[in-house]
This record gives sequence, structure tokens and C-alpha cells, in this order.
Amino acid sequence: MRNSVDPFTVEVIRHALTAAAEEMSFVVMRSARSPLLREAGDLSSALTDHKGDLIAQGRDIPIHLGVMSFTVKKFLERVPAERLRPGDVWFLNLPEVGGNHLPDVKAIRPIFLEGRLFAFAVSLAHWGDIGGAWAGSYFAAATETWQEGVRIPPLRLFTADGIDEEKRDFLLANLRGPAEREGDLMAQMASTRAAEGRLLRLGEEHGAATLRAALDRLDDLSEAQMREAIAGLPDGVYEGEDFLDDDGPNGQPAAIRVRVEIAGETAKFDFSGTDDAVAGPLNTTPFVAMAAVYYAIKAVAGPEIQPNGGCYRPLEIRTRPGSILEPGIDKPVVGGNHETSQRAVDAIMRAFEKAVPERLTAGGSTTAGLLIFGGTRRDGAIGTFYETHGGGEGARTDRDGAPVVRVHLTNTMNTPAEIVESEYMIRVDEQRLRRGSGGTGRHRGGDGMRRAYTVMEDGLSLTTMFERRVIAPYGLQGGADGAPFRVTLHRAAGGSRELSGKENLALAKGDRVVMETSGGGGYGTPAEEQAGE
Amino acid sequence: MSESGWQVGIDIGGTFTDLVALLPSTGDVRSIKVPTQRNDPVASIRAALAAADLSAESVDDLVHGTTLVTNAIVEDRVEPVALVATEGFEDVLDIGRAGRQHLYRLDLPPRREAQVPPERRIALAERVDFTGAAVRIPDTAAIDAVVTQAQAMGIESIAVSLLHAYANADHERAVGAALAKAFPFVSLSHQVNPETREFERTATTVLNASVMPIAARYLDRLQREVKGARLHVMHSAGGMASPDAAARRPLSMALSGPAAGISAAASVAASLGLEKVLTFDMGGTTTDVCLILNGAAEISTDSKLAGRPVRQPMVAVESIGAGGGSLVTLGTGGLSIGPQSAGAEPGPAAYGRGGTRATVTDANAVLGYLDPAKRLGGAIALDVAAAEAALAPLAARLGVGIVELALGVQRVANAAMVRALARVTVERGVDGRQCTLLAFGGAGPMHAVGLAREFGIAEIVVPRFSSGFSALGCIVADMSYTQQQSVRMLSTGWDATRFAALHDDMLAALMAPLHSHGHGADEIDVERTALVRYVGQSYAVEVPFAQPLDLDRLGRDFRQRHHEIYGYATEEHWEMQSLRMCALVARRTTFGPLGIPGEGAVPTSVNPCWFEPAAPHQTPRYDRDRLPTGARIAGPAIVEDAWSTIVVPPGYTLSSDAMGHLWIREDAR
Repeated sequence: MRNSVDPFTVEVIRHALTAAAEEMSFVVMRSARSPLLREAGDLSSALTDHKGDLIAQGRDIPIHLGVMSFTVKKFLERVPAERLRPGDVWFLNLPEVGGNHLPDVKAIRPIFLEGRLFAFAVSLAHWGDIGGAWAGSYFAAATETWQEGVRIPPLRLFTADGIDEEKRDFLLANLRGPAEREGDLMAQMASTRAAEGRLLRLGEEHGAATLRAALDRLDDLSEAQMREAIAGLPDGVYEGEDFLDDDGPNGQPAAIRVRVEIAGETAKFDFSGTDDAVAGPLNTTPFVAMAAVYYAIKAVAGPEIQPNGGCYRPLEIRTRPGSILEPGIDKPVVGGNHETSQRAVDAIMRAFEKAVPERLTAGGSTTAGLLIFGGTRRDGAIGTFYETHGGGEGARTDRDGAPVVRVHLTNTMNTPAEIVESEYMIRVDEQRLRRGSGGTGRHRGGDGMRRAYTVMEDGLSLTTMFERRVIAPYGLQGGADGAPFRVTLHRAAGGSRELSGKENLALAKGDRVVMETSGGGGYGTPAEEQAGE
Repeated sequence: MSESGWQVGIDIGGTFTDLVALLPSTGDVRSIKVPTQRNDPVASIRAALAAADLSAESVDDLVHGTTLVTNAIVEDRVEPVALVATEGFEDVLDIGRAGRQHLYRLDLPPRREAQVPPERRIALAERVDFTGAAVRIPDTAAIDAVVTQAQAMGIESIAVSLLHAYANADHERAVGAALAKAFPFVSLSHQVNPETREFERTATTVLNASVMPIAARYLDRLQREVKGARLHVMHSAGGMASPDAAARRPLSMALSGPAAGISAAASVAASLGLEKVLTFDMGGTTTDVCLILNGAAEISTDSKLAGRPVRQPMVAVESIGAGGGSLVTLGTGGLSIGPQSAGAEPGPAAYGRGGTRATVTDANAVLGYLDPAKRLGGAIALDVAAAEAALAPLAARLGVGIVELALGVQRVANAAMVRALARVTVERGVDGRQCTLLAFGGAGPMHAVGLAREFGIAEIVVPRFSSGFSALGCIVADMSYTQQQSVRMLSTGWDATRFAALHDDMLAALMAPLHSHGHGADEIDVERTALVRYVGQSYAVEVPFAQPLDLDRLGRDFRQRHHEIYGYATEEHWEMQSLRMCALVARRTTFGPLGIPGEGAVPTSVNPCWFEPAAPHQTPRYDRDRLPTGARIAGPAIVEDAWSTIVVPPGYTLSSDAMGHLWIREDAR
């Protein structure tokens, strides 16, 4: 069929679709209940076409955005399009259904134009608890997915008639903090409805055929841009590797390896050399590996390319069954989502160091830097305080790294100390820069930070999930490594110990947890710095 | 020489300074535009007064909208300050909220660097908890040490932001009192922004401190210049404030200029009885849009300026980097408009001053909308050939004709603006298509109909004084003071005594400057807005209420608003997060009818204009100043004044009303 839509209409439609995706995130952030969503913004929104190809995304979290398209495609394998109805909102979290980990629950609404399925609105939100063995659902000793929480296959929670209360109650009965979760799922439903309204209006205005033609055109444009971007990288085969600190309290480092082949306008990413699946929850899904590649190629070659179904056509990505990146559905994955995914990005960046070092930043705090305090909130409700901690950014060829920021696949915000203290039984004693933690070099890595929490009540639990404690953020082109993460527990009863990056433990009143986040790696040899002065 | 009693509004913009003056005793009106003298705003005011033939002595009231504070912040010409913070929290500006602005851009710094460098951060050993209870009281020696440290820093302005100061400001007040003896400028966070979240409060307080010396010097100079006239300045929430109040909280002037335009829009909307209005102010490099409901502009308290948080009540203007001078570029991703602009020099190619890169204005010139026989503001001659030459390479690359490209540029520019209109309406749960579009500014009237059509709006108003609208806003603005403060009280545990005390304290603080200006309580209106949310939400819904507070009614109103905005509401209990109050003295400025006599409209010329690629329409041009009251003109037509061009495409009809406003409506289909 001839592609007859004019370039100006295409641009008008592109703006409208992006606005719709951004509006979805706005609705979730403004109306959700858990601090993780409303303060930290651990959520993302996307629109896909009827086949599951991405058509627009919000300005959210790259790791989420990268898996959205797979979620819809795998969803459609389980739920044929004939079963979908206007007004449906399906919820799911299975990692094998184009997913990442159980806490990231996706709400999917099919959108119909002119009586036919046209698109899907997908709202992904990290639920503060999804059940399982430990408050906050990061069970460090997990060896099976079933220990990690409630597994939700595609579940039609809303129809045009409203919510299915039995399904909802079944779900909430398995979660800690049901009231908060209910508020969150309502917010996700509302966000997909907002997107539906936007698309219906676009359909009225342009007609489904014109919209479809515009989407095809946008796909082609992004594909052309990506081809041009890849052509701008020197041809060759580049290998890179990075290491997980461990997969549990007594774990050992494990390797993520990638072989990148740039040939003209196409790029291959082969992760076959990655180590076998680990016992603990640091495995992840192939979809997450692909999201890591999507992020890395955009960041290195084409940051301004509109992400959609066409954007990633010039890429070929391979993972090996049985490896950390394709472990099989029974394996635990909760930490892999934001830890192992960042290892994949770092491995790719190390590979590109041999091709285009001037485009890269040195190693940063590529970890969630996660602490979860479980227990009772000040208002008496069960609640988990889920806090990610940013560290120093790596330096670049032309500038120092920034202090305390989220890098690469994540972009969640912190929870202000004033909010923490007013909602949880926790005092924030200090939050200051961890001076000198950035690696030296011609340009210095950014400093990490130090934040100290004192527990004000008995009965709280703590979970850690972070990396870069053993393997420090790397320097680039001769720059020094940044200081690694360090989390120290000072017991009220006396005694202190450094915590590992994967632990669950009980806290007592007066215990103090001191989080020191990593500094960024330096760039260029310090000798050059001296010579330049 | 003129007689005394003039009310004068002056808005100093980046390129032009506008003046609108009214002599209430006779109804005389003067409206003037002079070039802005970039480095000397006082000289710009002097020039505008002279051009309007007004002496300082003839002016009773002068209200001024200024970009002084805005430009200082945007261009990073603020003064150095020191920050006093709770020990352990001195680095709050470096840590911020830890997010980055660009997801994929490794080359760009993730965010702006901290405004106060480490060597000017001073720790104070003190602590208040979230309930306001003092946990650690700073002793006199500690406070004296703070003053001593600050004195060694060679600065004149200091910000103090202590943890939980919104809940208990005793410690801030104690430090502030000691600092005030040694420094001319002190900003305390509980006064500048008494709300929770330490980073945003601190950043706002620091920014306030950094513009304080600049604002104080300027206002002082200005007061001397205008001698006996009562001087007021426009603040960001769309009202006017005394110079004293503005000098204490200069950050309240951060949006002074745009707020003046919105104030005019609100006044026009109220006088026309328009319930829902979207303003559309398109200039050379940016376009501002704002929602006005029932004659009042929407207010935001959570904005950013040049990448820095500004938690102050400001008109909720959404600004995008596309205007008449924005460059049109074509990459592999398609056609895009802005944010780069041709600037004032060389400007669009059509202005014939050496510009060669295509802009939105060049597209307008190619389409015939700009009169080739006329000089813009009597100065700039149009060069259509240069505009065509600038667009030609883009048209060739896209494989379309120049006219088709020019029409396309309009649509793409409109698409970006539609996004802005959608944002300001979505946040309020309003269907933007039911709004009236109020178009002003240099390029607003030219693009208004195209934008309205793209967004689905059927009615457009180009108000009287549309090209000096901010100056008009200065003389119609109410005198008002707005404050917002954290409350955090549950509907299930309502403490009426505490709420009343908080309310009364805030009200007294807002009334004080009005009383000192001689306004009695009977002249003052108070607007109260509760910011209400369900427990666990971070963002609140604005719910207006009256005293005495009816809790049930507030709850009902909250649920209804929540449903309007998010599409659902539950019967749960709720929390009042913050209280916002505005105390105002209405300024009932009225203009007489314009009343231009005449039978019908007579065109000054007829030129071909393009509205679709097929063929041009022979399009009559009219002079706005000679358009008789009640005239009706069917499109296609162009109506011009000295500073702007109104485009009425086929299918629309323009009519002029007695007040001098022009209405454009879509013809019935």
C-alpha cells in the first residue's frame, strides 16, 4: 500500500502520541499512593500498535521502556486479540511475558479505532510489595521465582463495566499494604484511560488509515536515523565484559560478556559468552538484556532518535539459554532487573571504549543502590520504604562527572529526608557528599553521597540490593576507579558490620544504617592532568 | 503637558517596552511601544513615558512588569550567596533529587550544578522534627559562629534553610535575627517557601537570596525616577505588590512579565464573561500558554526556571521554545521548529537583514500574510524573495512546493503548541476544546486560527491592546499577596484550633502590607485554596473553600475534583497537605468603549494569500484602527495594526465589538 500521508501530518501525529504517553506518567505520578511512584517516579508509560511495536514512550525509565514492546507481544501470544474488548484493562507481571521482575506490574489497555484493535496503552509501575518471603519482595536467598511474590498472568481486572472485585481482592490478599496497592492500580488504570481518550480523538481527526500510515512513516524515519547513527561508528568487532559483585550473601562475582559487531548500518550484540545462570535473584530476562542494548545504542550513537518499532530494526541481539540473561522461567530475577541490566550496559560501554571512547562516560553508580525498610508506617498501615541511592557520575573526555545522580538505565528520584521522617519510623541523620569518592583523572568522577538512617522503632526489617561494592565503578582511558559502595550497620546493642549487597535482616530500635554510595570513575590519566597545568 | 492622575502600566520586554496609560477622569487612553534599552531598564521607562508625553508628575500610579529577575536567573547573572543549613544537610543542593534531565544524552551535564559552592555552606548544629518539636536547640555561641563564618565570605546576601523549618521556624528566626545585624540581605526558608521537601525549599530560598541585591538596587533607583508616583511591580501570580514586599521576596517577580499578560487576559475574560479561556502569547522565540477559569489564572507552586526549582505561586504558564523567529530544520527525523531561533539579529530572512535560515515568519511571508507594502512597526521592510530562498532548500529535500512547505511549517509549529495547550488543560481536567482562545503578543494573532483549528477550538478573541497586552495587565491587575504553607492534617483527626491559628497567622501576614498601604479590611478580598489529597498521595488537588471551613463540603469538593482530573475517586479519608491564601484589593480599572463609527469595513488593499496548496485566495487587508464597531468580515481576510497581523482564513468570520476586541468564529458548517 502506498504511504500517502504528508510529512507535516506525520509530525503532528508524532507530537500527539508522545503527549499521550507523557500524560499517562503524569496521571500515575500524581494520583498513585506509594512513595516509590509518587516521589521516586519508578514508573513508565508507552503506547504500542496492535502488534506490540512501540509507537511512543514517556520520559521515564529506560529499563522499563525497553521491555514494554515485548510485554505486549508476549501478552498477545497468551491472549489472542479476539478476546480483547474496549474497556478492558489487563494486569500482569510474569517475567516470561516480556517482563523484567515481579514488582513491575503492567496495566495494558487495548484501544479500538473504527471497531478494530489499533493500539495498546501500557502503564508499568513498581509496586512497593508484590508478596513473597520478605517485606518489599526482594528475597535475597531466593532460589526460585515462586519465592519472590505473586505471579500474575494476564488478568482482565477491568472491563467496560468496571473493576472485577473478586480478582482484585484475590490479588490484594496476597500483598503487604493492600490499600496502597489498590491506589496504585487505580492510578495505572486511569493513566491508560487518559491515553485511550487521546487516541480516540486522534482517530476521529485523522482516521485509522492515516494514523497507521503515519506510524509506518515514523518507523521508517527512526530506522533510517538508526542506520545513519550506526554507520557513524567504526566497523569492527568489540568485546566487553563486566562483573556482578555476587548473587547473594556468599556469592561470587559472575561475568556478563558481550561481543559487539558493527558492520555498516547494522549492529550485532551477542551475549553468549555470559556466565551460566546464578542461584540467587540476580538473573534476568532476555527482554531486559535487549532493553539494555536499546539504551546503550541510543546513548552512544543516536540519543535524539524517536524510539519506536523502527528504531531498533538494524539491531540483532542474542542471549544464550541457560545463562544469567536467559535463565529459564523458574529462576529468581528480582535484583537482575536493575543490577544485571546495568552490568549489560557497562559491558557494552567497555566494548565501545575501543571504538569511541570520546562518546562515553566512565563507570558510574550503575546500581539501584537499594535499601528497603519494611514495617509499619507512622499512620499505622503496613508500608515499605523503598529507597534507591544515586552515586557519582563517571567523568568524560570534556568534563568532570556530576555528584549524586542516577545513570544509564535508571532515573528514579530520591525521597526527601523530610518526607521519610514524616511517613516512616526512621530518622535521616545526615545526607552529605562523600567527598573524594570520585576517581581521579584528567577529569574527575563525581562524588557519591553518605546518608545515615536511624530506626526509631522495633520491628522493622531491612533489605539491601546493590552492586559496585566489590567491583568499583571503572575509570576510562587511564582514569582511576571511583570508591565502591559501602553500607554499614551500627547496632544499638553494640557492634558494627559492613552489609553485603544482597541481604534481608531484622532491625531494632536505635540501629543505624549508613549508606555510602560509589563515586564515579575518572577519565584520562592523572599524569595528563599534571602536564596540562 | 498632561494633567495629573494618570494610571500607567509599563512592561519591559526583551525587545520592546510597552506602555498603556489611562486617565480615569476623562477616559483618555495612550498606548506606546519603544525599543527596550537592554542594559538600562530605568532608561526604558523614562523613554516610554516621554514617548507617551507623560511627565513623572502627571503619573499617579505606575505599575511595572519586569524581566529583571527572570533575566538575571536565566542568564545566570545572580549574586553570590552563602547557605546556612542544618548540620549534615549542607550539601542538599548537590544531592537534589538525584534524577537527570536527559535520558540518553551522556554528553550533557545531568543537571545544573549547585548554586552555592562548598566553601560557602555553613552548618548549624540544630534539629527540629517533622512535628515541629525542637530536638536540638542551637545555642548562642553556635549562632554567633555562623555569623562570623559568613562575614569572612565577602558576600552581602545569605540564605537560611533548616530541616523541617516549615513546621517550626524558631531556629531560622534566631539565626535570621543574628545575621540581619551583619548583612543587608537575609532570606529565611520558612518565609520564602514554608513547604516540605528540603531540596526544593532550600533551592528556592537560595535563588531568592541571589536576586535580592539586584532587585533592591533596581527598585530603589526606579522609585527615585518616578518621584511621587505610587510605584508597584507585577508579581508572578498575576497581581501587583509594593516595592518593599517585592524587595523582600524578589523571587516573586520571577514571572513578572508573563504574569502581566495573564493578568490582562484574566481581566478581559472576566469582562466578557468567558468561563474557560486559553491564552496564547506567541513572541519571537517562545510561546506561552495559560488556562484561565472563571476569570482567574491557574496558579502553579511547583515550577522550574532555567533548570532551578522555584516553589513560588506563579501563573501556571507553559512555555515552549517556538516562536516567529524559530528556525525550521529538517533532519532524518523529520521537520522541526526551534528551539534555536534567528534572534533579533539577523532575524528571519524575510526581514531583509541578512538572515538566510528559514523561520516560521518566513513561512508566513511566503504565504502572503505579511503586507509587502508595509513596514513592521514602521521600521522593518519585508523581503519575500529572501524568505522564499530560505525555504527553497527544505522544500526541495522534501519534494514539495514552497507553499506546501510553508503551510506545513505552520502545522508543525501548531502541533508543538497544541501539546502545550493539552498540558495546561489536562492537569486541570478541563476539555480544552470548550475554551476560547485569547491571542496576543507579536505573533499570537497570526497563528491563532490555525492553532485553534488544530486543537479543536471554535472561538478566538484578539483583545484590544493585543500587542501591548502585558502593559495593559499592569494597570488592570489587583493588588495581591499570595502565600502557601504546609498543613498536613487528616480529615479523621482534624484539629480545628490548630488550623484556625495557622489560618489566622497566615492571613495576618498577607494583610499586613495591604493595611500598611492604607487599605481597610472591607476593601480586601481573601481567596482560600486547600491542597487536598488522599493519604499516601504526594500531589494534591486544589479545592477552593470559604471560612468557616465546612469539612464535609471540602471532602465532597475534593472527590469531585479528583474525579474530574484523574477519572476516579474513592470514599476514603483525606489530608489537607497545604493551605494557599491570596489577599487582594480589587482594582476596578475600566475602559470606555472604543466606538469607532462607520458603516462597513473598507479594505486598504487586496493581495493573494495561501491557505491551501491548490491556489491562493485574493485576500483583502484591513486596518484594525479603522475597523468600525460591529464590523463583520468573512474570511479570507487580514487585519493589521502597527505591530501584529491577524489572519482570518476562509471558513471563519471576524467581528469587532464595542470595546475594541476582535472575535473570530468558525462558520457554521
